[in-house]
Amino acid sequence: MRRGPSAIVAAVVLALLVAVGLVSGSQHILTLTIQTMVLAALASSWNILGGFAGQISLGHAAFFGLGALVTRELWLGGTGLGVAILAAVAITAVAAGIVGVPMLRFRDIYFAIGTLALGVAVFITAGNLWPGITSLPAEDLRNYDFTGPYFVALSVLLTTVAISLWLKHSKVGLGMMTVRDDEEAAGATGVDAFAHKMIAFVISASLAALAGSAFAYFSVSYYPNFAFSVLWTFEAILVVFIGGIGTIVGPLFGAVFFIVGRDLLPTDIDEFQVVLFGLLFIVVVLLMPGGLTEAAERLVARTRRPDRETTAEEPTATKGKELI
Amino acid sequence: MTQLILQSVVSGILVGGIYGLVALGLALAFGVLKVLNVAHGELLMLGGYASFFAFTYWGIDPFVSMPLVFVAMFGFGVLLYLVLFRFVTRTEIHTRIKNSLLISFGLVLVLQALAVRFFTADERTISTSYSLEAFTIGPVRVPVVRLAGLVVAVVAALALEWLLSRTRFGRALRATSEDWTRAALTGVDVRRVYLIAFALSAALAAIAGSLVSLGYSISPSIGLGWTLKALIVVVLAGLGSMRGIIVAGIFLGLVESLASVWLGGQYREVVALVLFLVILSFRPQGFFGRAHA
Amino acid sequence: MRHRALWVVLAVLAMVLAACDSGDDGSDTTQAEETSTTAAEEEPTTTAGEPTTTAGETAEAPDAIRIGGVVPLTGAFAGGGAQVERGYIYAVDAINEAGGVYVEEFDAQIPLELDVRDDASDPNQTTSIMDELAGGDIVAYLGGFATPVHAAGSATAERNGIPYLGVATSTQALHEQGYQYFFSPFPKSPDMAVTVFEMLNGLVAEGERPLNVGIFQEATDWGEELGPLFVQEAENHGYEVVYHETYAPGSTDFTDLILGAQAAGVEALLSLPTPPDGFAIYQQMGELGWKPPFNLVIRAADVPTWNDLGPAGEGVVLSTPWHPALGFPGTEAVNERHLEEEGRPADPVVGSAYALIEILADAIERAGTLDHDAVRDAIAATDGLETIIGPITFREDGTAEVPNPHMQRIGGAIELIWPADTATSELVYPAP
Repeated sequence: MRRGPSAIVAAVVLALLVAVGLVSGSQHILTLTIQTMVLAALASSWNILGGFAGQISLGHAAFFGLGALVTRELWLGGTGLGVAILAAVAITAVAAGIVGVPMLRFRDIYFAIGTLALGVAVFITAGNLWPGITSLPAEDLRNYDFTGPYFVALSVLLTTVAISLWLKHSKVGLGMMTVRDDEEAAGATGVDAFAHKMIAFVISASLAALAGSAFAYFSVSYYPNFAFSVLWTFEAILVVFIGGIGTIVGPLFGAVFFIVGRDLLPTDIDEFQVVLFGLLFIVVVLLMPGGLTEAAERLVARTRRPDRETTAEEPTATKGKELI
Repeated sequence: MTQLILQSVVSGILVGGIYGLVALGLALAFGVLKVLNVAHGELLMLGGYASFFAFTYWGIDPFVSMPLVFVAMFGFGVLLYLVLFRFVTRTEIHTRIKNSLLISFGLVLVLQALAVRFFTADERTISTSYSLEAFTIGPVRVPVVRLAGLVVAVVAALALEWLLSRTRFGRALRATSEDWTRAALTGVDVRRVYLIAFALSAALAAIAGSLVSLGYSISPSIGLGWTLKALIVVVLAGLGSMRGIIVAGIFLGLVESLASVWLGGQYREVVALVLFLVILSFRPQGFFGRAHA
Repeated sequence: MRHRALWVVLAVLAMVLAACDSGDDGSDTTQAEETSTTAAEEEPTTTAGEPTTTAGETAEAPDAIRIGGVVPLTGAFAGGGAQVERGYIYAVDAINEAGGVYVEEFDAQIPLELDVRDDASDPNQTTSIMDELAGGDIVAYLGGFATPVHAAGSATAERNGIPYLGVATSTQALHEQGYQYFFSPFPKSPDMAVTVFEMLNGLVAEGERPLNVGIFQEATDWGEELGPLFVQEAENHGYEVVYHETYAPGSTDFTDLILGAQAAGVEALLSLPTPPDGFAIYQQMGELGWKPPFNLVIRAADVPTWNDLGPAGEGVVLSTPWHPALGFPGTEAVNERHLEEEGRPADPVVGSAYALIEILADAIERAGTLDHDAVRDAIAATDGLETIIGPITFREDGTAEVPNPHMQRIGGAIELIWPADTATSELVYPAP
């Protein structure tokens, strides 16, 4: 497998990210990068359930929020950050396991609506139980240092990408993709659909919680229910599709595109930014289901020898008119 | 306490009528086109704004402007179909649902942002001279506006039922929703059916919006909340079924209202959502739908 | 491998980002050398220059003192946000017309430049906009309207080390976090709770008082703070709380609250709703045909739109931070301009916002420099400064003693009813 060049480029990017974190004095750059990394991690986590296993969840923010909530409460309450994050991920994993049992019996649209209903219910409940803003203590604010949050976010992203990579090339991952492509057929070939969906669900939720932890550690001040907001789910989905669903690099690319794009567009026309992304999203879904990844691939393919194949390892258009 | 319960029951039924009306359009789009339009709430919002502006700038009473809003948003629905949803209907059913979900989500972003841009994010409401009038039946007050809303919902549902069962177009609609390939083979112009069904669903959402701007308030961000309500009602009634939508809507309204009495207003929506999930788990075909094969 | 192109692009992006590092950010400490200051005092330019200080000699003055405002101009708080923005604009114009602010460091009168951004009533946008503004070299932040945006804003200001002045937030808890950069000369919950009952006792004869109190407490941080304070002060002043319920902001149906209050025999209803809930509550009260003799709503924001309520909104008492009839210096000019531009006397929050600029300008003059910490110290040291909301002296926690007039909607107009000596009308009690 041609891992060489790709690995080198990945290493370069990683080195750059580390460098930026250590060297940059720009609050703006650091904030943007952290936000990108958190969103990329969240998007990647959704991708595992939606892209690999083909289950479109609209309640993903519930896990992001839960991870953020547990981390924030424990950490601000005096627990060490590492322990807080581990607890957050563990609790979320368990919650996902419990919730997944009834949820994953739903298929397709029912699953989407069901997870949406769950997500909204959790959002409302969180807002009721934790109505007050959570802000870092004054001392920490005055001495705020980006380094910690930056590298936590980076580690979270790396962990998520690593797990995604591993999954993609593992038997479990293959099982998930089989389920995605045709759940009935998967059952017929001996793949336990429910088990695979559950594994995807729990991993996806746990990684979302991990991203939430990074968010909680980085944020200065926010209302706890914000992390449960359906907007996070939507942003993750938007980013995954624009980047290229089912790929490893898609969510990352999409996140960079989204955050940087949003920042570079002039702020006077905030609404038009949203309109643009919305339109882009629609275009992607209709015309370019593989997202930017697919677009880039086509570009690259055109510059290559014509007999080089683009294999079906990337899960685009495997089943006729299937867009995912 | 009895008065509270009775009043809550009445309130629940009245708001349930609107839930039903909103769901009606969504059910139509889904039943016929097999398209899930999560921007349905945004269409409601636009209809609400149309009524609001007609009232504020031209002094037209919202019930009077309702037919106009209906027609206007029917046109908008036609436009949306031609520009967007038409492409979705080219794929087979399974992908259609997924793609329409995604596309309409993009549409949500677009419509909401445009609404903020042109209408500002401020809350609006219509207050007419009769806004506070209410009938008193025993210990219970029945606000005129909300009752009228229920009436509109029932009338719309009956009209739709009449359309579906008594007209030729209605037959074409039903045939298409059951099996579009077969319908096409028997000479039904499927594209035209799709177009009209979709535009109708938009128009229905719009008049629900008029009621919302009269009885509650509207702002660019209300769309998703109403879409979720509509989704729940549609699923409760039975995905793909046009029957019993109003009933399911009223059921939802009642659940919320009564939950509010016992658990406090903070959890009324949560209770409804959880109950929805429970019902979905045990009876995915809803109250009136057929069990899936 | 096919991914290569993407990795390359990502790498390039990362490099571009890292390179941008040194370009556009003002919070970088090495900024001074890189950015050019072209604005000399004699050449007014439309873009703000950046103050650079070279040791010893008088530095080149910037052509304007930049102030960054983050105000909800759209969204739930837009009504109040519009008032806040107006106050800022009026004050900045007034000060600039009088020649600007004298800054000793540059030995020059420099005009104020206001940069107001809309955070759409979303505290998360507040934070990101403030971070953006920090990069543009502003002297101070001006806050928006309502506790959520101020809660986020004050924390962000603390981190960025830039003074933050805000009105339209009554949550005392914000001032108990040890923030040093947050200043808010605005009525706070503890005082407000006391004032309500003092007013009732002052305006209503002993035998006729609405002793049964009902509280609609919103499930927010401010609600959680003020609710119990109401209960406490009710007790202290001889009232009894017979109904006290919480509701989530954004609720559409208040039937249970209203009927519950009615059943409990509530005579004085206290609420602090986020728009548009206040509107919905009173609309539904109208539908259900019940309104207690005394109604207090603490959200002056809705002043313009409450007219839409018609009779349902009649007689409602609003707790506000200011009223033109108080007659402090500067009121007349503000009122005139407001009448001309908005067609009605100045709205309550306009005065409070106006005062912030007065305070800031005064502080800058006393500090003699635009340095953040020096200005912060000067603001904190404000002592008896005469402003449009009266004399201002800051307490340690960033609050100050300020007026808390109450108004009532009578016949479609807003009348001042408390304090009694400056009232324009008497309390209409019971409410129609």
